[in-house]
Amino acid sequence: MNLGDFSLGRYRRRVIPAAVFVAIVIGAALLCEVSFSDFVKGIVKGLSLLTFFFPPDWAAFPEMIRPALVTIVICLIATPIGAAFSIVFGLAGARNIAPDWLRLVSRSIIAAERGLPEIVTLLVLVAAFGLGPLAGVMALAIGSIGMLGKLLADAIEEIDPRILDATAAVGATHWQVIRHAVLPEVLPSLVANSIFRFEVNIRASVLLGAVGAGGIGYELNAAINQLEYSRATVAALLSLLLVFLSERLSDRLRSRIIGAGRLG
Amino acid sequence: MAAAVAVPSSILPSVRFRRRILLLAASLAALGAGLLYLKIDPVAIFRDFHYVVGLLDEMFPPNLRLLWVKKGLWLSVLQTVAMAFLGTLVGASIAIVLAFLASVNTAPSRPVRLIVRTLLATERCTPNIVVLLVLLVAVGIGPFAAMISLCIGSVGMFGKLFADAIEQVDPLPGEAIAAAGAAPLQVIRYAILPQIAPSIVANVFYAFDVNLRLAVTLGVFGGGGLGFELHVARSVLRYKDMFACLILVMILINVMERIADFFRRRLFLREVELR
Repeated sequence: MNLGDFSLGRYRRRVIPAAVFVAIVIGAALLCEVSFSDFVKGIVKGLSLLTFFFPPDWAAFPEMIRPALVTIVICLIATPIGAAFSIVFGLAGARNIAPDWLRLVSRSIIAAERGLPEIVTLLVLVAAFGLGPLAGVMALAIGSIGMLGKLLADAIEEIDPRILDATAAVGATHWQVIRHAVLPEVLPSLVANSIFRFEVNIRASVLLGAVGAGGIGYELNAAINQLEYSRATVAALLSLLLVFLSERLSDRLRSRIIGAGRLG
Repeated sequence: MAAAVAVPSSILPSVRFRRRILLLAASLAALGAGLLYLKIDPVAIFRDFHYVVGLLDEMFPPNLRLLWVKKGLWLSVLQTVAMAFLGTLVGASIAIVLAFLASVNTAPSRPVRLIVRTLLATERCTPNIVVLLVLLVAVGIGPFAAMISLCIGSVGMFGKLFADAIEQVDPLPGEAIAAAGAAPLQVIRYAILPQIAPSIVANVFYAFDVNLRLAVTLGVFGGGGLGFELHVARSVLRYKDMFACLILVMILINVMERIADFFRRRLFLREVELR
């Protein structure tokens, strides 16, 4: 054994990346104001807090049914609207359909939108349209456009070019190619993605509701702010149920669509 | 005379057209009913459009001076990234341990597996906001609470994915080294972990992407960071500041997506080289 065994060169490959990594973690922890004593206090406090949450105040259940329905209806409206608009952005953002400038415009709008969490969109919309379901529906619809539009544009670009060529070769105009070759090819995946987006929207709308889009999220936030914890438990359980059911529904519907291969 | 060919009526153009119109009408009616239920007046969007114009007027131009006048802003950008980073890291680490407890082929016993699976499923259904609202009271307002709630969210999201990955590994390598005398932990380390590593890496990058957006979102509720700045700017009606923060959020998320892509590609490249 000699000094060379401990040379920096030998350990550089592992030690330096590990040290950098640890430094980043510590820096991040400082930024996040991580504190072990807060954590321990939080556990004690959290456990004593949980006793306030239970038992749930089932008397509040009837009042919660309407907000829960509002949440469902918001998503039921927002998802199809977003899906319809995403067809426009998807077609405009596909290389094999749209001219380059249009593709650039559409893709930039989609990228910008995807960079904005729904809640940020909602904050702007609330400033414009006031609190209420309208802002919630619009925020979720816009969010759906971003995600579905990108997926659709990617799906269109992956279409086998021979299908488009064949349709054009028998004399189809540009719009006829879109109508009879592109749309039938991508519609099943759009429907499947929209159903998945519905599930995402249910989760998001609970969050958005807490900012003022109405629905079960609003009731949850209001109950916690008014320190009515056992009431909040009912709202939390109900939103848990909503998410669970939407996940089940979306799983089942999507596997049926993918199993059937294509629609119609 | 051509023989009559039995054509199912469902493919006749007239029938298909009628069905399509009916479907369209039904969806539009459902949409209208939904709007009515929510008491939303779709015309109001256009009638009240001057509010939007007014807001845009107040938002433009974005107060980009904020970026160098306000020192705290960059700190809150870093804070948002740090929340997402730590939440993903700690969450994924816990998720890996739980995933081994939740998989058929590695769980120490059936009850443990069922309990862990149930816990993961419950967590996945719990909206992040519920976790955060409880944590804000327990730990106090600030980025720490948001980080823990991101952590808990990641555990739910990835525990199941990792567990599914573990259940799908090829059992033969593990059986081979077990036959050669490897302890269960050694089987996990040398037979299972190498097989699931690519799926872990891919999912962790995806989790970071999701968590970064959530970090902004949770910030609005008092979790600190960029989301909180945005919320404050809106609450005090400084829309030019809000617009500047908004642009910052957009840039941040797109840039982090690029950086994550870069690292992901490098990691996968190295993996291919090693083979």
